Amino acid sequence: MPSKAKPPESRPVTITAVIDPVAALASGALEGNLFLYDTNKAEGSAGFGGTDLRTRVRSGDRIIWNVVVLECETYAALDEIVIDEKVCTPERKVYPNTDIAYWTATVKRHVTEPVPYRLKFRLGTVTEPYAVSSPALVGQAGAGKEQR
Amino acid sequence: MAQQQGIIVLVDIANALRSRTLTGNVYLFDNMKFLGSTGQGTPDLVTICPGTYWSDGSQATEQVLNWLPASLGSIPPTVPRSYHADRAQATDQEALEEIAGVADRAGDPSVDTAAELEGLRRRVGARARRQRGGRAPAAPKVLDVTGNVVTGEGQAYNHPNPVITDITGPAVEEKIMYPAQYGSPDMVSDGWYWAASVDTSRPGTYRYTMHIQLHELVWRNGEPAWEPVDYTCDSAIKVISDPKRNAFTGAGLGVLPIP
Amino acid sequence: MKPHVNIVVLVDAVGALSDRTLNNGNLSLVDDGAFGSRGQGTTDLCTVVVPGQVVQWTAIAIDVQTTAEISAITFLPPDAAGGAGGAAAEEAPAGEAPGGGHENLDLKVWEGIVPAHLQPGVPYRYRLEVRMHEGRDSVLHIDTPALMCA
Repeated sequence: MPSKAKPPESRPVTITAVIDPVAALASGALEGNLFLYDTNKAEGSAGFGGTDLRTRVRSGDRIIWNVVVLECETYAALDEIVIDEKVCTPERKVYPNTDIAYWTATVKRHVTEPVPYRLKFRLGTVTEPYAVSSPALVGQAGAGKEQR
Repeated sequence: MAQQQGIIVLVDIANALRSRTLTGNVYLFDNMKFLGSTGQGTPDLVTICPGTYWSDGSQATEQVLNWLPASLGSIPPTVPRSYHADRAQATDQEALEEIAGVADRAGDPSVDTAAELEGLRRRVGARARRQRGGRAPAAPKVLDVTGNVVTGEGQAYNHPNPVITDITGPAVEEKIMYPAQYGSPDMVSDGWYWAASVDTSRPGTYRYTMHIQLHELVWRNGEPAWEPVDYTCDSAIKVISDPKRNAFTGAGLGVLPIP
Repeated sequence: MKPHVNIVVLVDAVGALSDRTLNNGNLSLVDDGAFGSRGQGTTDLCTVVVPGQVVQWTAIAIDVQTTAEISAITFLPPDAAGGAGGAAAEEAPAGEAPGGGHENLDLKVWEGIVPAHLQPGVPYRYRLEVRMHEGRDSVLHIDTPALMCA
């Protein structure tokens, strides 16, 4: 009997930003054109599909942020993540031997109150970033029952 | 419209495999919200197909749909699909170069050659077997979600992208859309993608079913293998049709409004 | 004489939306007129026509997945030097548009007959307005192209 696949213990929590860059450029805003998801729904993350994602994390979790572009021929990338450094310090990395970036961080401490953070994106050839401040990391307790 | 419509099928693969269903684990998008698509980013996307016809009733512009599966929590689709093969080759190459170094040092009694070789074996990584009939990438190494090789059981690995194996349902049976799999030189779609042209002469909302294959890594006697798992998920297209009309007159051809 | 003249409006929508201008190489105009049009491949195309010919404008986005459509063509008064004097292009209210409340510019055929009253050798400039997707920054225009009678 083969051993069935078990979810590995150390799977990172991936936060994926789906973005419609052409719609965002045309409307001048990310709202309505940015959809945030994570892989921690089973742990109680909430707010999928909007800009106010609540990602449930534990101390020691590894987080990865990446981007999926609705129009694959249009450039869109995560430019910066601004978050309380006491909680985590996101770092920009690239997939080995590519110039495609992702951001990663390890949760340094137990999170009680939601920790909001700012995501800045670069779209098309615009030099000024487009930003949202509505997503947050939330802890195991006091994260509410807003599961959807 | 000359614009091609893209439908993104984003799958939470780990959660789908855990709950053994795509229900609640698929998010759908298209780039036609500005023409009336609804349900962006949810499982309930209805994709607008805005048809046009000439005054004699013939179809004016062709609507083309393209489906692009993507995986939540995997290496994103902007990383070329040849990436798995490229990384497998690169890690092999690095290991070969180091084997030469191990051989050079083999005569030195202070060097534990066996331990060095074991270290190399781990760095070369695991190569998953491919289930016959499955559509997993051909004998790739197992990578983690940041593109590094996985060396043993229990490590977080990158799921291969979901694969659409068929598109069926009322929209197809009633000959509203004509889906087929096409070859492409575009590495973003791994050389294959599903596309359909739409007959916009019969307005209405039509459902369709995507057949989606996921791949689960199963370890047998310490050897990993990709096992295909087949699921389905539904969506819909909304066909509308309006007549072409002259933009200057609102009706037929006229003289240009030059002052 | 060819009864039809086609003017193709080639748009780099992502470039135009990023730069917020149709200049900088984000738009180019080409026609197939038979009378030596000037400025082919630029934003300054002067299409040479004769009365009675039918002129048709067609927008093409260089990227197949993005959208660029002509939302207005407005001929400017003869003395409008800076181009701002032309009647502002009016968009159909969204509620009245066919297509379930979403205006589908693909329905519009930008085509018309060259009138008989044009003075030969005088360029009649027009404002060409292009819409890419929807929203605050989605509509851009140029005032530089023209029609001119041979």
